[in-house]
Amino acid sequence: MGTQDVQPPIIHFATLDKILSLGRANSLWPMTFGLACCAIEMMATGASRFDLARFGAEVFRPSPRQCDVMIVAGTISKKMEPAVKTLYDQMPEPKWVIAMGNCAISGGPFVFEGQYGIVEGADKFLPVDIYIPGCPPRPEALIEGILELEEKVTGFRRWPRVEAK
Amino acid sequence: MLLAKIKEALSSLYDGIQETPETPETSEAEEATEEAVVPSEETAPAEEAQAEEAAAEAAPPPGPRETDYAAKGYHLDVDLPSEKVPEAAEILLRENFFIESIAGVDWIDDQQLEAVYDFNHFDELCRVVIRTRTDRNNPEIPTISHIYQGANWHERETHDFFGIKFIGHPNLEPLLLPEDADFHPLLKDFKA
Amino acid sequence: MNGLLQQDVNQETFTLNLGPQHPATHGVLRVKLEMDGEYIVEAEPVLGYIHRMHEKMGENRTWVKFLPNCGRMDYLSALSYNHGYVATVERAAGIEVPERAEYIRVITVELNRISSHLLWFGAFVLDLGGFTPLLYAFDDREQILDLLESVTGSRLTYCYFRFGGVYNDIDDSFIAGTREFIKRLRKRMPMYDALVTKNIILIKRLKDIGPISKDMARRYGATGPVARGSGINFDVRKHEPYSVYPEFDFDIPVYEEGDSMARYMVRMDEIEQSMRIIEQALAKLPEGEVKPKKAIKMVKPEKGDYYCAVEAARGSFGIRIVSDGTNTPYRMKLRSPTYSNLSLFGEAAKGMLLADALALMGSLDLVIPEIDR
Repeated sequence: MGTQDVQPPIIHFATLDKILSLGRANSLWPMTFGLACCAIEMMATGASRFDLARFGAEVFRPSPRQCDVMIVAGTISKKMEPAVKTLYDQMPEPKWVIAMGNCAISGGPFVFEGQYGIVEGADKFLPVDIYIPGCPPRPEALIEGILELEEKVTGFRRWPRVEAK
Repeated sequence: MLLAKIKEALSSLYDGIQETPETPETSEAEEATEEAVVPSEETAPAEEAQAEEAAAEAAPPPGPRETDYAAKGYHLDVDLPSEKVPEAAEILLRENFFIESIAGVDWIDDQQLEAVYDFNHFDELCRVVIRTRTDRNNPEIPTISHIYQGANWHERETHDFFGIKFIGHPNLEPLLLPEDADFHPLLKDFKA
Repeated sequence: MNGLLQQDVNQETFTLNLGPQHPATHGVLRVKLEMDGEYIVEAEPVLGYIHRMHEKMGENRTWVKFLPNCGRMDYLSALSYNHGYVATVERAAGIEVPERAEYIRVITVELNRISSHLLWFGAFVLDLGGFTPLLYAFDDREQILDLLESVTGSRLTYCYFRFGGVYNDIDDSFIAGTREFIKRLRKRMPMYDALVTKNIILIKRLKDIGPISKDMARRYGATGPVARGSGINFDVRKHEPYSVYPEFDFDIPVYEEGDSMARYMVRMDEIEQSMRIIEQALAKLPEGEVKPKKAIKMVKPEKGDYYCAVEAARGSFGIRIVSDGTNTPYRMKLRSPTYSNLSLFGEAAKGMLLADALALMGSLDLVIPEIDR
């Protein structure tokens, strides 16, 4: 979840909270934040074969003020870091962050002795909720990541888990 | 055909360059090389070849050198001092070459920085490489961005990575590094 | 307060930031625009937001360990970048490549070129406002990705070529699948042509937009479809043949007008030409080995520098390597085609409407990680 200080409501309704979180999980609107190669797999997930629209997350909004999940797909360079933080701050609460791909998790294949240009992982300056490994991760992995996020939001797993045969 | 033409055009740049002292002293055709030292390089290759073989430590005569394309990937190798680079670029633009890239190389053992300019031609295959070396502690090369506008970005990138100052460049700010970067990453002694 | 009142009321230009995060910039590109109303007075691209230090990594990795980097520079046509790097080192070290491997290289590179052009087509029309062709283009592209995944193991950032051949041999299901795919795509291309290329809205948005002259292309070093759309007949596959391209019979589409429509048509025609090359290559595929007997792990080229260029989907990709005789490169310079293509945007976009400038940017086919390397 986000880190801003949001005043909690004075009266809590358990059932209303459950319904609200179910609604939020059912329509997560991602922000188009493809930085590098993982962006193409994100586009492929939104396209016809893998179809993220089935899970309610088809509406990729360019503006941060209209979306609730930021999928950091790609390498974050030191020049880009202030821009990412600004965009994260512009998103309204409640908001989540998915780190997609090895570069967003820990710098990926670009970490070497004496590197001067990239930030080694999105969690160095953002609170990340879900990590999706891969270089780039398959679209099915991104869908699984969205389903895990839904589990985090609602508290229970809404879709069956894929078993290895 | 284009290769011969551009070689001749570029060799006129070497008129002012001094001949290295070893070659005339050790060659047999001493008189021939002494009277017409630089311009007759292409017309007297046989005598020169003898002179070069005769003196093992004689430096090769300055001038455009043809290279083995299949082994190296380019046709003409031109070694110039930094001041002559804009003239060479003007000659190449007149002959309708286009600029492919500008690369910097850090020769830390020689304490020199080298800039390598790659040119190619749209109609006939002919790759010309211009090299120039400059001192590592105060690297300065005149710009060619008023001749080849594409060199504007190439020179900014070379300045970013190596710190070579291109004299006369309109804005030599960092291109690929952050705007406030003051380090030059591709130098051999760079520590993050 | 006085300063505000004394400001020139005729000062009409304002600065607009086409920021690093933008749906139409195909990556993290920032363009600083000086606008006079809706017209652009000055445009200056700002790069470096995805600078991933490929050239520095070239000096820190051995020749073999640099191979995965090649796929991540221009990830849409990663195999041509693989090809360029492998061809340069093979030229420097004198490594022979078996003929079957060369044919497999050509087939996979051309398939990758088709998938790159299909994605460009979808994204370009998306920039202009049409969402549906993207879904159809991605559908065709997924077929190619299936084929290439069965051979190379990855969907996007391939690392398939090795020094002296390729990593894996192709089998009959790949050959049959490729033939099937070409038949299918040949049936789909007339649909793209009728619905998109002949669409009056697309024609009005692209015709006479963003003219690039031959002289401009020469001074900036533009290659690839950007140069071929301006009447320059330059394609590395015909101009400086490498690998087994001389064996195939294919044309180079060249259009004279120099506007965005010409660049669009060049790429659509190139898809057809790539299909021709693949068909001929599949028919002539020889038997034999695809990799050297012993995998090459250490390469020690002679001291000196070497250069090699290949035709990637976006232009002429060149690598200049400086070797000092050891197992690690001394310097690796990567000449990316989109870098030179984008550098003419500042001059070409002067005086255009903002929407037209975006159409010009889309027709240049940008992939920003390739520019920033």
